[in-house]
Amino acid sequence: MEQILQVFISGIFSGGVYALVSVGLALIFGIIGLVNFAHGEYLMLAMYFAYWMYNIIGLDPYQSLLINLAVMAIIGYLTYKIIMERVLEADHSIQIILTLALSMVLQNLALMLWKADYRNIRIDMTTDTTHIGFLTLSTPRVVAFVIAIGASVLLYMFLQKTYTGAAMRAVAQNGKAAQLMGINLKRTYGLAFTIGISLVGLAGLLLSPIYPAFPLVGSNFSTLAFIVVVIGGLTSIPGAIMGGLLIGVVESFAGYFAGPAYQQAAYFLLFILVLIFKPNGLFGRS
Amino acid sequence: MINKLLSKNNSVLWIIALASIIVPFFLPNRYFQDIAVMTFLWAGLACSWNLYSGYCNRLSIGHAAYLGIGAYSSTLLYVNFGISPWIGMIAGGAISAVAALIIGGTTLRLRGTFFVLSTIAFAEILKVMTITSKDITKGALGVFIPYEPGFSNMIWASKIPYAFLTWIYMIIVLLICVKMERSKLGYSLIAVGENQEAAENLGVNSSRTMLIAFVMSAVLTSFGGTIYAQYIMFIEPTSVMSLMNSINFILLAITGGMGTAFGPMVGSFILTPISNLLRGYLSSVSGLHTFVLGLILIAILLFRPDGILPQLKLFFNGLIKKSKATKGV
Repeated sequence: MEQILQVFISGIFSGGVYALVSVGLALIFGIIGLVNFAHGEYLMLAMYFAYWMYNIIGLDPYQSLLINLAVMAIIGYLTYKIIMERVLEADHSIQIILTLALSMVLQNLALMLWKADYRNIRIDMTTDTTHIGFLTLSTPRVVAFVIAIGASVLLYMFLQKTYTGAAMRAVAQNGKAAQLMGINLKRTYGLAFTIGISLVGLAGLLLSPIYPAFPLVGSNFSTLAFIVVVIGGLTSIPGAIMGGLLIGVVESFAGYFAGPAYQQAAYFLLFILVLIFKPNGLFGRS
Repeated sequence: MINKLLSKNNSVLWIIALASIIVPFFLPNRYFQDIAVMTFLWAGLACSWNLYSGYCNRLSIGHAAYLGIGAYSSTLLYVNFGISPWIGMIAGGAISAVAALIIGGTTLRLRGTFFVLSTIAFAEILKVMTITSKDITKGALGVFIPYEPGFSNMIWASKIPYAFLTWIYMIIVLLICVKMERSKLGYSLIAVGENQEAAENLGVNSSRTMLIAFVMSAVLTSFGGTIYAQYIMFIEPTSVMSLMNSINFILLAITGGMGTAFGPMVGSFILTPISNLLRGYLSSVSGLHTFVLGLILIAILLFRPDGILPQLKLFFNGLIKKSKATKGV
C-alpha cells in the first residue's frame, strides 16, 4: 500500500512539470488557435541555456531563472513576429506543418551547434531527497512541482483578474468581436505566444537539474503536452493542470506495473480512449 | 502547345513521369542510382499519402505506421517462413487495410487538430508495440533480410531492377490517383475536404467516402513499405516508423502541391535528390541536411503554400505567352 502511494505521489510530482509545459500550449492554442508542434523545442532551448549558464558563468538553474525567463520571452516574441504572425489567417494544416518544420529546424540547429551528447547539470541538489512521512522524493522534483504549479496558478489568476487577461479571454472567445471592442488583436496574440513560450522555457529550466539536455529532448514533451491538452479540454488552463497531473500518475503506474517501455504507450492509449469516449476532454465543457 | 498539354489531363506531367525511368540508366554509379530509387519510392509513397490527406485536406502524421506494417509483414513472413515478399506485400496490404479500418473507424470523425494528433498517437503506439513484442519482431534490434538475389525474393544485385520496381510502384499509385480524381469517390472526397457539412447536405456519405480513401491510402503506403524493406534489407522500428518518416510524406506532398495527383511526385523529384545529395556532401556536420530541408519547407509554406506545381504551370504559361508575343512582333 505504501508503495502504491509512493508511486502515486511521484506521479503527481512529475505531473507538475507536464502541467506547466501544457499550460503554455493550451494558452497558445486557446487564444491564437495555433497548434504549436515546436513547443517542446523551446523547452530544449531553455534546458541548453540553463546548462550553459551553469557551465560558463557558474549560475545554477535556480539562480539563472529570471535571465532564462527573459531570454525565452524574447525568443518567443521573435518567433511570433517573424513566422507565426504571417500564418494567423492560413489554413489549419499549413500552420501544423509550419510548426513541424520549425521543430525540425530547431532540433537540427541544436544538433549542429551542440552535438548529440547528453548534457547534465550536477548540482548538490540533484541527488538530494526530501522526506514527507514515509515518502521519499527527489528535492529538485519537489521544487519543480511547487514552482510549476505556482506559475500555472499565477497565469490562471492573471487571465481571470487583470484587464489584459480579460482581453485575452475575450480574444479567445471571439477574435473579431474583441477587435471591434478595441482590443489590439495582434498584440494580444503576440503576448499569448510570448507567455506560452516563457512558461515552457520555465519548465525546461526546472527540468534541467533532473533531466539531461539533448537535441531531441523536446519531442517527447511536445507529444506529451498535446495529449495533456486534449485530455484537459484543449483551451482550458485548469484542465491542462489536471491533465498534466493525471498523465504523470498514469505514466508512473505504467512504469511500476508494466515497465518503463510501456509508459508512453499507456498515455497514448488513455489519449485515444478519451478521444473516442469524451472528445471534448475529461475536464472540458461540452 | 505545352499549355494545352498542361491543362489537358496533365499530359506533360505524365510524360515526365513515364520518361523518368530513363534517368537511372544514365547515372554514373550506384550512389546516384540509389538516389533515383529513393526518389521513385518516395514519390509513390507521397502520392499514396496524398490520396487521403491531400484530397481531403486532413493531415495524417502517422503514415509511417503503414510503411512499418508493410515492411514488417513481408519481412517477417520471408525471414521466418520463406514466403516470397511478393505475397508478403499482399499480406501487408491486407493487414494495413484492417489497421486502417480500425484506426479510421475511430478517428476519421474527429475534426482538425484532434484527427492529426490521433494519427500520431496510433503510429507511436504501433512503434512501441513493435519494440516491446521482441519475440515476433526482434524489438529494437531490427530484422536483417538475408542476401539471396532472385526475382521471387525481390532482391537484386544491381540497382536497376529496384529502379524499375519503384518506378512501376509510382506509376501505379499515380494511375490510381488520377482515376480516383475523376470518379464519384474523388469528387466526394474533395467536396468533404472543402466543406464537410455542405457535402453531407448534398447527399455525400462523408464517413464512408473518407474511410474508403483512408484505407486505400494505407494499403498503397504499405506496398511501398514492403519495397522499402526489400531494398534496404534491414528494418528497425525507430527508423521505419519514426515521426520523421511521417513528416517526409507531408514535406514532399506540400512542396509539390497537396491535393493534386502529380504534386507529390514533383515534390519528390525535387526534394529527394536534394535531400540525399545534401546528406552526402554535408555529412561532416550532422543535422545540417535536415536543418536545410526544414528551412526550405518553412520558406515554401510562408511564400508558396500551394506548392511548386501551380507555380510551374504559371511559369510554362508565361513562357508560351512570351514566345507568342515575340512571334507576333
